Parts: sequence; structure tokens; C-alpha cells
Amino acid sequence: MSLESPESGQETFTHNVEFELNGSPERHCVPTSATVLDLLRNSCGKQGVRASCERSVCGACTVLVDDLPVAACSTFAFDIEGARVETVEGLAAQDGTLSAQQQAFSECGGFQCGFCTSGMLMLTTGLLRQNPQPNREEIRDWISSNTCRCTGYEMILESVERAAELAGAKQQDQASE
Amino acid sequence: MTGIVIPFTPHDSPIVGRDRPRLDSTAKVTGRALYTVDIQKPGMLHAKVLRSPHAHARILSVDASAARSLAGVTAVVTREEIHGLHSYGTYVKDQPIVATDAVRYVGDVVAAVAAVDERTAFAALDLIRVEYEPMPAVFDSRAAMDPSAPAIFPEQPFAAYPEYGDGASGAAHTAHNVSYEFRYETGSESVWADCDHIFEDTFTFSRMNHMHLEPFATVAEATANEIEVWTSTQSPFPMRKELARVFGLPENDIRVNVPLLGGGFGAKNGPKTEAIAIRLSQLSAGRPVRYCMSTEEVFLTLSQHDAILTVKSGLKADGEFMARQSRVLLNGGAYADASPLVAEKAGYRMPGAYRWKRIDSVCQAVITNTVPAGAYRGFGATQATWASERQVDLIAERLGFDPLELRLKNAKDLGEEFVPGETPIDSDLKHGLNLVADAIGYRDRRRSGNRGMGVAIGIKDGGGVNKPAQARVKVTTNGDVFLNCGLVEMGQGGHSALCQIVAETLACDPGRVKYAAIDTDNTPFDQGTNAASGIAVMGHAVLQAAERVKCSVLDMAAEHLILDRQSIRLDNWHIVDAEGTTYELPPLIMDRFGGTGFEFTADGYFKVRSSSSAPLEAPCMFWEIGWAAAEVEVDPETGRVELLQLVVSGDAGKVLNKLGCRGQDEGAAVFGLAQALFEELRYKDGELLNGEALLYRVPLAEDIPQRFSSITQEQGHGAGPFGSKGMGEGGMLPIAPAIAQAIADATGAQLTSLPMTPERVYNGILHARARQGKADSNA
Ligand code: FES
Ligand code: FES
Repeated sequence: MSLESPESGQETFTHNVEFELNGSPERHCVPTSATVLDLLRNSCGKQGVRASCERSVCGACTVLVDDLPVAACSTFAFDIEGARVETVEGLAAQDGTLSAQQQAFSECGGFQCGFCTSGMLMLTTGLLRQNPQPNREEIRDWISSNTCRCTGYEMILESVERAAELAGAKQQDQASE
Repeated sequence: MTGIVIPFTPHDSPIVGRDRPRLDSTAKVTGRALYTVDIQKPGMLHAKVLRSPHAHARILSVDASAARSLAGVTAVVTREEIHGLHSYGTYVKDQPIVATDAVRYVGDVVAAVAAVDERTAFAALDLIRVEYEPMPAVFDSRAAMDPSAPAIFPEQPFAAYPEYGDGASGAAHTAHNVSYEFRYETGSESVWADCDHIFEDTFTFSRMNHMHLEPFATVAEATANEIEVWTSTQSPFPMRKELARVFGLPENDIRVNVPLLGGGFGAKNGPKTEAIAIRLSQLSAGRPVRYCMSTEEVFLTLSQHDAILTVKSGLKADGEFMARQSRVLLNGGAYADASPLVAEKAGYRMPGAYRWKRIDSVCQAVITNTVPAGAYRGFGATQATWASERQVDLIAERLGFDPLELRLKNAKDLGEEFVPGETPIDSDLKHGLNLVADAIGYRDRRRSGNRGMGVAIGIKDGGGVNKPAQARVKVTTNGDVFLNCGLVEMGQGGHSALCQIVAETLACDPGRVKYAAIDTDNTPFDQGTNAASGIAVMGHAVLQAAERVKCSVLDMAAEHLILDRQSIRLDNWHIVDAEGTTYELPPLIMDRFGGTGFEFTADGYFKVRSSSSAPLEAPCMFWEIGWAAAEVEVDPETGRVELLQLVVSGDAGKVLNKLGCRGQDEGAAVFGLAQALFEELRYKDGELLNGEALLYRVPLAEDIPQRFSSITQEQGHGAGPFGSKGMGEGGMLPIAPAIAQAIADATGAQLTSLPMTPERVYNGILHARARQGKADSNA
């Protein structure tokens, strides 16, 4: 990420923003021009939120805002007032157990350099919430909003399929308990 | 299919070859992975640079006084602040930290600022006044070589280059605006006289951006006497050496730390952000300075080489290849960067996968007023393979041969020499070609309905030239292992594969092996992570270090337990004797070394031996080969190409990590498919039109054909540990030519330029119809 530490003396207008981050309340005073990316990385310390293009093209910075994937680099911080925001840090359970998506990407090699991975995982999370059993075509369409320069995508598509499978199995387990 | 049986992973190998998650997987899926962009230091300053708006201009004056006095600015670097510091580059040292006499391309760095935050740094840049005197510029390599073109370097920069072995030679500044020229020659000129057909064709190759998602970034802490950087580089030790040269310091006063890389693809070899961050830190009383580029700046920093390739091939009436001559011009942009090395490879790899009696190849890297070009996945072989394979298809059409059969007839055999003095070919090229052809049903294809298929082979020498690699393995009293070596993890899975080698050797759980953080003070020396050398070259050093550690543990145990050294073995940090009795090691070690504990360490070293008869000074470690087969459907009304099937294959020699091998081939293939069909830096009068993420199109999941697969072969002839070879670039080489031939097979359009846009395909179809019409009316 190129832009860092936006809190400069020259910034006169600031804004209080309250939102829920990975289930916990957050409140920050940020410059009006701050993006969700600035807020999450610099003020909330969520280093797992990546940034590359900062032009809402690559999707490396994807987070969920009220269940929907959003490019954090291109969303103003004041826009998430009162929203439910989720980042990659919120996926694993408290005890460190990986979520179905994380487990699947790890098993199927859905990453190489890993720079797109946080975004891809959040995209997958958003997809599975809307459509727990997506087919190949739906996965391909959905994943096409983010860029991965390393993997050639095939192993990402398989990871998402596997994530759906694992999430489905988990749900069944819970239902039968 | 030929009758060869591929030796697959033997079952006696418990760890190597298993499909297990990579070591870095947990860090990467939880967001905890640390990249250079994540490095924070107390009191850290932020750097921004001022770039040239002119393609070529003399710098008359630089006034930075207003910027210096802006509150929050700690330092400004202009040409005044780099007096006495050297320029950098591979072989040709022509790139200064900031421009001195002139700017040479749009985006050339003129000044840099460090400030308390990026906004202040940007504000300071606006206050710097630079007076330019524009000069005529030249953008195209052919035009730049014309003696009437402006000389981009009026004085020749310092250059040093290798001696080379038999048949090869190189020289800097051989012609107007040529930074480096490589030549290779073998066989007798008289072979041409025995040829029944001689064809000469010219091909052009477009230019791409690496588009690694993590930009170039450095955090530097430096004084006049000491430098420490955290940086996104593929080559920590060459970086240390270059920085020592640039700043005139001993190497032991420079420390380079390398976290994980968010992609490299060749771009992260030479200095990019390092020198500026260092100089600014020196001028800011040693405070840490972070210089992280934006994606737009990355576009202005490095690219691939576009190329014009003229190939002349002679053959017998029966299709036997005889002689080949090639003339390649690489557009190196304004500064040499790695251009000399790329020229070397683009020249050397022109024979391709085939047998020739005479080869005569010249490649020149030309200086133009465009973004510097450097190392890029496939490294010269992508350019050479495009022309070489394309010409095979053109010849096949002219002489009425099947393109696949013509390839099979002339491809070198396993064990045959590439050129005299070079390593013999270590894969069965024909087997691989048949494999991919069969995988898409090439021989049963129907060419109706504007559908067609093509196949191609790409080959490159792998493992690098003169690459020494060292490694250290350290085992604690409790059997926890540290692997210490300079292989940079940039996504290829190298750390995992090397740790697997250690675990296998020490017969321990791979979970116990940790890849130690890389810093040049503590990490053993290595020449850099490139040329797919990680597994083959570094793998040997690691294997040797692990073997030595194992020996010292066994020696110690044998002596202490009074057992025959030959009869005991190591298993999961236990000693097992001939009877199967096991002894726990930790208490034994405590006992032996006085109750405080002990660490076993050993080093390993590997380098391919140099030889004066090898053209590039040392025979290559292995051959990296990519085979591809493609099927397309072309819309003749619009020229739009739909890729129906793409199969790529590489030979891993022996698979150390299946997921890793597959990912390397598929990732590379997708680079190739993008270059084939759409990805390209577009210029108009030298101005880059699409130098930002919004306008520059890289492949997305939707661009991947419905049927896309990779076949990882394990032919078993590799020179790396366990018979392995390097991977990661081979998959890129044959893709564009295979797709081009599929288009020709479908429509008759024989394309010679990349990318094969609908417009080019459409024009190619019109051209093919006109040719066909002429042929019909002549008949
Ligand atoms: S960084 Fe936000 S979309 Fe690229
Ligand atoms: S893993 Fe490198 S960009 Fe996706």
C-alpha cells in the first residue's frame, strides 16, 4: 500500500466513524478524505487487508460491508458508519481454527504469493453467504472481480468449490448436533 | 502416445512429493503474512519522487529550496545530493539514483522527498522547480539504431561483461544506441549451400508489465557509514553488492532484510526503491524512510522487452532442419537494467527445441526513450520461442507438412546436446509434445467450423549461470530445525519445498522445520532467486547441509551409545539401532553436552562447475521445457478468438510438491495466454497509454478457458535433488505460438505479431483469403 498515515496537520476536516469490525465495536476519528483501507490498516491495525492498485480494479483490498464485498481502497471511511465490516482477520475461530474458506484455500493451493488471498477469501465468504452451493460458472463470474497474478485461477476456483463443500459439511454437523 | 513409461513418485519417499499444504499457508490465509509494505518503524518517514514529464530533455536547473523549507519535510534528493555516488545496472551501469544531466523517459526520477507523511511529501514535490530543455526522443528500437537518431547516452556508461565460452561473445555499446550485443555461432557457414529451401520471416513481440500485486517497496535506515534495508527483492546478496558499489561502502556495513514478496516475476531483481530510500534516510539523520510506489509508478519503473525478430531457416526437401540465422532487436528502454542478460538469453535460445547443423544468432539490446525493460518471466526465451515456433508453423504450411510431425521430426532427442559444450537435453521432448497433443485430441481434430488446434514447445536453460548457493541447517536439542538460506519466497513455494528436502533428509516431521528470516548478515550467501534455480541449485546446497547435520548427529550418538555408526539411523529425532531399539535424542544430547543443550549446524554449498567450452561460461543445470496445445474457435466476421482448450505441461523431473508444480505451470501459462490474446503496454508516439491498473488489462478468472489443464510430468532426469528440475517459466513459453497455430489451423491466418487482437486476426483472415484466391487463380 502506498498511501500511509493520512493524519497530517494539513487535514482540517475530520469525522467520527462508528462501526462493527469482525464483531467488535470500533470508533475512530479520521480525516474526511480517509478511505476504509486507511482506516482498517492504519487505525485498526488490520494488516491482512492488502492494497495494490488503489483504483478499485484488483480487489486485493476486498472486505465485507454488511455481507457485501467492497473495495476498501475506494470507499470513504464515513460511508461505513453503523455498518458491519469483516476482514480476513475475522474468519478464523477464536481458538485459531481455520474457517472453511481458509481451510480450502490452504488445502487446494489457492494462493501463491498470497497478496490477493485476503481479498479472494472475503470474496468467497460473500459468495457463499448468498449462494452456499455455487456452480463453476457462478464462481468464475464472482471471482472475476479480483485479480490474481500468480495462480492462473484454476486452483482458486477449486478452492472455492472446496470451501462450499467444507462449509456445507460443517453446517450439516451443526444441524445434527 | 509413445511407449515411454514416466517414473512417478516412488512410494519409499514419505515427504517429498506429497500433496501437503505449503508452509506459508496459515500465514497467508489468515492475513498474518508479512510483506515489505507492512514494515513499520518508529519515527518512520515517507518518500515520494518527482518524475519527468519529458521523454528526453536536458536538465538545466533544479530548484528545491521551497520544498526543503516546507514544514514536515526532512530531506530532498536532487542531482546535488548524489555527488560521488555511482550508477547501477547489470553489466552496463547507466542508471543514476536520480537523473543528473538529462531525463531519458517519461517517468524518469528527477528528485525525491522524505516527509512525515505521504501527503506532505506530495506537497513538497509540487514546490520543486525543474527547468528542462526538451530534446528529440526515439521510441522504437529500429529507429533508435539509425545513426541520425539522438544519442541517448552521449558518453558511454561504464560496462563489464563476461568472457563467455566457445562460440559466444558479447560487447557493450556496439552500435548507435545499443547498450549490449550478444552473439552465438556454431557449425559451418557452408551448411546453407546444402539447403533445399531457405525462408526468412520477421516477427514482432509486444511488451507487458509484470503487474506483481505488491508494488516495489523499501524501508531504509541509513547513515553515511551504515545501511539497513527491508526490501522487496528477489536477490538479497546481489542487492547488497550493488548498494555497496553505489554508496561506496563495505558490504559488511550493509544489511538487506527480505520479508515475503507479493509476486516478482523477474521485476524485483535490481535496485528499484532502495537507493532513494537510503539516500533520503542518510539525509534525514538516519531516521527510517519508507518508499513504496503506487501501481502507476510501478508501470513507470520496469517492463518486458518488446522485440523485432528476423529468423532465416534452411532445410532439406524432406523437412530436415539444417541452418538457422537470427537477428533480434530488444527494446531495452532508457536504462540497461537486466537487458544485457535478456539479450544473452534471447540470442542463445534461438535454436529452440530443434537440431541444426549451423546456428548464427545475434541479439542487440537497444536504448530508447521508454520505460526501462528488464527480467520478465521466461527471460528472453519468450521472445525467441515466439519467433522460432511461429516460423516452424509458417514453414510447415509452405511445404505442406503437418506442424506436429515437422516438430517431431526435428526435435532433439533425450541426451542430445543443445549446442556443443552445453548440457544434454534432459527431457523427452517428443514424449511431452505427444502428451499435450493427445490431451486435446490433436490428431483427430476436425477443422470445420472455424475451429483449429496448435501445439508448441518452448525450451530454456535453467538454473542460471555462475550461481553459487549456500545453505545452513541448524537443529536444536529438541529436534527443531532451522533452515537458513537466501531463497526468497515470492509465491513459488520454494520455502516449503526446501523445508521438505530437509525434513526428508532428517526423517522428521516437516512441521518441525522452519525457514529462517532472510537477512544478509546471517543468511548464507546466494546469487538470487531467479532462473527457476530455487529447487535445483539451492536444493543441492540444502540437501548437503541437511546430510551433514544428520552425519554429525549420528556420529555423536554412535560414540555416546557405543554403537556401530553404520548400523544406526535417525527417525523423528530418535536413534534407531540395527535391532530396532530406539533412543530418545534430547536426554542423550543433554547428557553428552553438560546439561545445557546443544545445536547441531552444518553448511552446504553448490555451484555448477564452469567450463570454457560451455558458451555461457558454465553448462546449464537443467533444461526447463514447456509444452502446450491449444484449440480455438475464431469468428471470421470479427476476428474474435475463443480459446476452447488449453493444455500446458512441464517436466518437474521429480515432484517435490504437487500443488507447487501445478501452480507454477498454470500461472505461467496464463501469463502466456494473456500475451497471446490481449495483454500489452500500448504506446502512441512513445507515450504509454495504459500505464495504470484501470486501463491495463491482465487476465481474470473469466479469461481462463473452460477446458484448461496442466500435466506435471516426472520424467526423472533432472539434476536437482531427487531428480528434480526447476519450474515456473517453462509454462509461459509455448502458449502464444500454440494459440497462433490454432488460429492458423482454423482460418489460414498466419499471425506474426502479438497480441493477436481481433483486428489483427481479422486482417490475417482477409490476407489469407487473398493468398488463397491468388493460389486458386494460379492453379
Ligand atoms: S487495492 Fe483496492 S481494488 Fe486494488
Ligand atoms: S497469489 Fe499472488 S496474486 Fe494471487
